[in-house]
Amino acid sequence: MSKPKFVYVVYIQATPEKVWQALIDPEMTKDYWGRHRNTSDWKPGSAWRHENYDEPDDVAIVGTVVESNRPHRLVLTWKRPEGNDVSRVTFDVEAYKDSVRLTVTHEELTAEMLQAISAGWPAVLSSLKTMLETGASMPMTRQPWHVRAAVRN
Amino acid sequence: MSESSFVYVTYIRTTPEKLWQALIDPEFTRKYWFQAWQESEWKPGASWRLMVPDGRVTDSGEVIEIEPHRRLVLSWRNEFKPELRAEGYSRLTYLLEPQGDTVKLTVMHEIDVPKAKFIEAVSNGWPHILASLKSLLETGASLEATRRWPKEKM
Repeated sequence: MSKPKFVYVVYIQATPEKVWQALIDPEMTKDYWGRHRNTSDWKPGSAWRHENYDEPDDVAIVGTVVESNRPHRLVLTWKRPEGNDVSRVTFDVEAYKDSVRLTVTHEELTAEMLQAISAGWPAVLSSLKTMLETGASMPMTRQPWHVRAAVRN
Repeated sequence: MSESSFVYVTYIRTTPEKLWQALIDPEFTRKYWFQAWQESEWKPGASWRLMVPDGRVTDSGEVIEIEPHRRLVLSWRNEFKPELRAEGYSRLTYLLEPQGDTVKLTVMHEIDVPKAKFIEAVSNGWPHILASLKSLLETGASLEATRRWPKEKM
C-alpha cells in the first residue's frame, strides 16, 4: 500500500512566469499563503523554508529543493521542523491555451498530513488564482492559519 | 463511501445566491461550461439533462436533493460515450458554504464502480470548468478555452 497522495489542479488567467513568481516572491505569498513566505535560492540541493512573514524564526515547513526548472517545474521535500515524516510537493506550471494549468501534487503523506493539507491547498490556491486575476487575494488567507482558527473558535 | 470518487474544493468571492444561480442558470453555464446548459424543473425527483449546442444530451439523471443556495444532489449518467454510459449512474453533490466574504464550493462526484473511467473523465473536466466559473464570478470573464464546445470532445 503506497502512502497517500493529494493532487489539485487549478487554471489561472496568467503566464507561467507570473505563477512561478507568485510561488516564491515573499511579497506575494504573504497575501495568499497565510502571511507566510518561502525562502531559498531555489537551486537544486538548496534548503528552503516556509516561515512566518513577520517572525521568520517561526518556521512552519523545511525541506530541500529537489528540482527547479523555472517557470515550469518545482519539486520540494516538505517536513515540519520538529518532525520526521518527509513528504514531497511538485508544482507543475504549464501554459494551457490562454491560461496556465497549475498542478500541485503532494505525495508520500501520512494520514494526518493528508487531512491537514487537503484543507489547506484549496484555500491557498484559490486565493492565488484570485490574486493573480483580480489584483487582490482573499482576506481569509492573509493571516496565519492559527490566528484564523482562534478567531473562529 | 463509493468505490470511485472525485472531490474538489474551491473558494469563490461571491455570495451563495449568485453561485447557486451560476450553477443552474443556462445563460450563465453556457459562458463557462463549454456552451453547455441544463434542463430541469429543479425539484426532487425531476429529470435533469445537460445539453450541448448541437442539440445532443451529454449527460442525464434526476434531482435527488435540492436545498437552494446550499446543496444540490443529482444522479448523473454520461449519455454520449458508450464506455462511460456503461458504468451507469453516478452521484454529484454541490455543497455551498459561506466563509467570510467567500463561498466554499465542494463538488463531489462518486460512483459505485471500482477505478471508474467516468470518474477519471470528470476529474479532468471539473477543475477547468470550476476555475472558469470562479474567474467569471470574480472578474466578469470566464476562461476563453471554456467558452466553446471543443471539437475534440465530439
